[in-house]
Amino acid sequence: MRPLPRFRVHRPESLEKALELLATLEKAKPIAGGTDLIPLMREVEVDVKHLIDLSHIGELNFIREEEGYIRIGATTTLSDLVASELIASKAPALWEAAASMGSPQIRNRGTIGGNLCNASPAADLGPPLLALEAEAEIRSLDERRWIPIGEVFAGPKVNSLAEDELLTEVRFKTPPQGAGSAFEKIGRRRAVTLALVNAAAYIEVEDETCRVARLALGAVADRPLRMGEAEERLMGKELSEELIEEVSALCGRLVRPIDDVRASAWYRREMSRVLSRRALLKAWRRCAT
Amino acid sequence: MEAEEILEELAERGEFIVIGRGVRRFDALDKALGRAKFTADYVERDALVVKVVRSSLPHALIKGINIDEALKIPGVVAVLTAGDIPGENQIGYALPDQPFLNDVKVHYVGDPIALVCAENEEAAFKGVEAVEIDYEELQAVYTIDEALSEDAPRIHGGEDNIAVTTRVRKGDIEEGFSKAEAIVEDTYETPYQEHMYIEPEAAYAIPEGHDKVTVIGTMQSPFLVREKVAGILGWNLNQVRVIQALTGGAFGGKDDMGPLVCAKAALAAVKLGRPAALILDRDESAAYSVKRYPARIRYRSGADAEGRMTAAEVDITVDCGAYANRAPFWLWRMTAHAAGPYEVEAVHVDGRAVYTNKVFGGSFRGFGDVAMHFAVESQMDMLAEKLGLDPLEFRLRNVLRPGSRTTTNQLLDHSVGIEECLRGVAEASDWWNRRGEVKRIEGKLRGLGVACAHHGISTSRGAPDWSAASLILNEDGTFTYRTGICELGQGSQFGHAKIVAEILGAPLESIRVEGPDTDSTPNARPTHGSRGLMLGGSAAADAALRLRGRMVKVASEMLGCDEGDVELKDGRAYDRRRPENSVSFRELAREMYIRGVSPAAYGFYAPPRRYFDPETGLGVAYPVYTFAATVAEVEVNPETGEVKVVEVWPSMDVGRAIDPLLIEGQIHGAIAQGLGFALTENLIVEEGRVLNPNFKDYVIPSSMDMPRVSDVIIVEKPYRHSAFGAKGVGEPAIISIVSAIANAVYHATGIRFRTLPITAERLYRALRGEKP
Amino acid sequence: MMLRFKLNGEWIECEAEHNETLLDLLREKLGVKSVKRGCNVGECGACTVLLDGRPVNSCLLLAPLVEGRSVETLEGLRDKPIMRELIEAFVEDGAIQCGFCTPGMLISAYSLLSRNPKPSEGEVRRAIAGNLCRCTGYVNIVKAILDAAERLRGED
Repeated sequence: MRPLPRFRVHRPESLEKALELLATLEKAKPIAGGTDLIPLMREVEVDVKHLIDLSHIGELNFIREEEGYIRIGATTTLSDLVASELIASKAPALWEAAASMGSPQIRNRGTIGGNLCNASPAADLGPPLLALEAEAEIRSLDERRWIPIGEVFAGPKVNSLAEDELLTEVRFKTPPQGAGSAFEKIGRRRAVTLALVNAAAYIEVEDETCRVARLALGAVADRPLRMGEAEERLMGKELSEELIEEVSALCGRLVRPIDDVRASAWYRREMSRVLSRRALLKAWRRCAT
Repeated sequence: MEAEEILEELAERGEFIVIGRGVRRFDALDKALGRAKFTADYVERDALVVKVVRSSLPHALIKGINIDEALKIPGVVAVLTAGDIPGENQIGYALPDQPFLNDVKVHYVGDPIALVCAENEEAAFKGVEAVEIDYEELQAVYTIDEALSEDAPRIHGGEDNIAVTTRVRKGDIEEGFSKAEAIVEDTYETPYQEHMYIEPEAAYAIPEGHDKVTVIGTMQSPFLVREKVAGILGWNLNQVRVIQALTGGAFGGKDDMGPLVCAKAALAAVKLGRPAALILDRDESAAYSVKRYPARIRYRSGADAEGRMTAAEVDITVDCGAYANRAPFWLWRMTAHAAGPYEVEAVHVDGRAVYTNKVFGGSFRGFGDVAMHFAVESQMDMLAEKLGLDPLEFRLRNVLRPGSRTTTNQLLDHSVGIEECLRGVAEASDWWNRRGEVKRIEGKLRGLGVACAHHGISTSRGAPDWSAASLILNEDGTFTYRTGICELGQGSQFGHAKIVAEILGAPLESIRVEGPDTDSTPNARPTHGSRGLMLGGSAAADAALRLRGRMVKVASEMLGCDEGDVELKDGRAYDRRRPENSVSFRELAREMYIRGVSPAAYGFYAPPRRYFDPETGLGVAYPVYTFAATVAEVEVNPETGEVKVVEVWPSMDVGRAIDPLLIEGQIHGAIAQGLGFALTENLIVEEGRVLNPNFKDYVIPSSMDMPRVSDVIIVEKPYRHSAFGAKGVGEPAIISIVSAIANAVYHATGIRFRTLPITAERLYRALRGEKP
Repeated sequence: MMLRFKLNGEWIECEAEHNETLLDLLREKLGVKSVKRGCNVGECGACTVLLDGRPVNSCLLLAPLVEGRSVETLEGLRDKPIMRELIEAFVEDGAIQCGFCTPGMLISAYSLLSRNPKPSEGEVRRAIAGNLCRCTGYVNIVKAILDAAERLRGED
């Protein structure tokens, strides 16, 4: 196990200051909860001279509903998400994903921004935010842009941000009344477990017809994936268990998993099917309520 | 003789003062207050940090070791290699096959080569990275079959890769099978299991003057540690003082690892004249420390039409890994328990342990009997099915009873409670009503499985075993009790105190236990083999009985009554005929000191010696056996292959329950460990490299994974030759749970697993027709 | 760097390295030894402390990040009514074996009972899911936490 590299910690109290530090300092990295970064630095050599702690920046820590969007600041912890009535009622898929993650200790430190920027293919917040068609606000000193959440992920454990950029906020349109969403996961024990596969579904039904269907899977490719082809087969149709079964089977074929110490690619394909079905069914059932 | 009579009298009182009750253990409070000291808590800030340079190859010759670059790193004080060892560069346990620091050849990925001693962690780490090893890579051997093949490289020279062999020839095996109505045959494989104690191995050594060293460490055998440290240093035993710190879980692993880590810290401290600490990182501990030995068992057994076992033919191969370590003992244990806790007329067993270029195996709770019973209990289920019998009923027809003979033809004349255990769990789980059809609940399959276990206590094959303890009556009437038996979480020392309290009529709180310190503690031999309470506690009883005799004598003179009328109770000596006539232990102690009656006693205990013939494998394999039976209910999700253990009904014949709460604790913990071994713990070793040396990917049960555990059914069939009849508990607890889960999975799904763990993926594949 | 934070209710100032974890700071420099190192990467929970009242793994927390915040360990909590009841129940119910996971376990349990005086068994299990124990099988730990909660309610 490696000793931590010799970095300096900076504790800016404003976003502006943090961006400035990121832009000026050499080999600087942001740190939020540290629940992924510290273990990573213990495992492999990380070339870093400065860590920019984001925890003092009040403007990055919020959950609110505004102008038709649910907006979540980047340093919002997983515990904050779990404690949020808004998230629980409007985006149960996101709530379930946050609640499923790590231990209480990890949830108290781990953040939404950290989970995304760590860019693990198994990131539990990936699928629900994809299914909610969330966007991430990416900021640098001179620029501010919104990108679809999927674009944060550039490859296994690699995000798409430039060195001077920060992910500052995640937002998604407030799901309308009658929309349903759900998250499902399979691990290797009942708590504190990395996902072998995770899945999230979002469904809107109108007059018995599926108006919107979105489905995303994690730990089945180099990044969390939307199941576009599957979604198309659901939209405009009257939902049934048979249809969901059929579409889920398709998901088993759409994914591109690998073998690793946790599971084989084959099993992940199979579980993609199972979890797709479970997530879709659960989301569908939630539409009515 | 007289002492035995007193003990018998005490044991027959029926009503005990502290024995048999769950009493708050006295070490618990400090642990709960965070005041208990573990090895790392002793380390001073200025101590040298020791880190191990390890082999990166599974099998290679060492052509050169270059430490120059490492020595240039600021903070690195020294790099020690084989040439720096003053004593013998050898630390093998059973066989002299294990160099302490390798300078000729490495035998597995992780084999120690050098020790970097530095002022801090960072320098030590960089020093390790900077040591250059020049290897000539050799062909490596990874599997049992590779090891046994004709052209396999010989890992330790010699004619083959076999470290040791065993055999049992009991009865006429042909005749046995000819009487059989049903015969089943299969091959079982069990994998490594990593201990994953929450506290990693640690040692802290402090040089004392020029010719003595004190070592504080995690261990189970302080006197073995002393012997090995002295051997490495080339010193006498009395130049090494070993203190066992409170040890954060051990389960056998720290018995083997204790000498290895302590000797490294001691060598650094002595060579450099400064305190030195070696604390393994989690990934080091998980990848390079000993593991449960993997094993392969070919098993053929038969039973007659009445459902009686007639024959068992067993072939065992243990995968030692790089060094034999405990393999001879492990293999003998499997061999001697090969027929399970059942009466089988004809038993043939052949066993061998083979070397491979992987991390070496070693002690782990259950010591071979987990694997052996996995095979036995699977066979029993299969035979029952073939005969159309209920598996529990079939077991009841065959279990050992007083008068039965074991695998090695050992006659068991008493202390055999397996039948009561089995009947107990059958009733508690409502087996006869619930084991019928498989229940389906919301698409999930429920199954019920049963398994039995037996486990010999103490060392095998009549090898001498003994234990010692000391007890001092202080001037104020309190007692200082010393034992070399370690506190590892199991609470044996507390059990000893209860035995002493019971014999002396002393309040439990008046007895203070001093744990292992080889300079002052009698040698109690190791805390393994579930012997801590039975052997150690019997030595405690011996010391207490000796002291009691003197206390009674002086008390009778003080009270003016016959010795036979003296009763010791509540810290006082009474005249039984005139209870108002009494003296306190304080008064009694003072009187003993004044009269020059020794207030100290040295207790010694050895179980009766018996004969064992290693050629035929027949004779008394162990002094006595603990028995256990378990029923488990599982719920299988066919959609994912996940197994949830719903409830477990445990039972055990413990001889005598010194403390039910301690027994319960051992059984609960073993259920968790057994559940992990059966379902999720899956050490992945590829080309000799452990790929998941962490809690993240080596999955031990969390609080969310534990089933409901029904009240432990305690059966008491006292052993005649131990204090109050107690037998060991810690190891037997893990044996039957593993097979009970596997058998329950079979009941739920019709799929019999011959290898473990039954991970969700493996079960899912099997449910879709792949060979399990 | 100089660091100022509240440790067990008292403001302290101490020297810390930028790349030092709170676990190292507590154990090596401040002598707070109830906080144990089991894995050093946030997987076992033996180093659990309260940060502003919430359980966190001190091995994942860089020391500079606790500037101005409140850190509590067993040393500071053991005289609080909830913790006293928990300690008593752990001792009484056989919830302690080797004791290495115990301090972290108690911190998680304390955090639970501080927020939820009447937890269900499931809630107790969930609250301690990040504290691995290899000795007890958790059975008596769960029992002890439920017992302590019950006794605390009885006192109200």
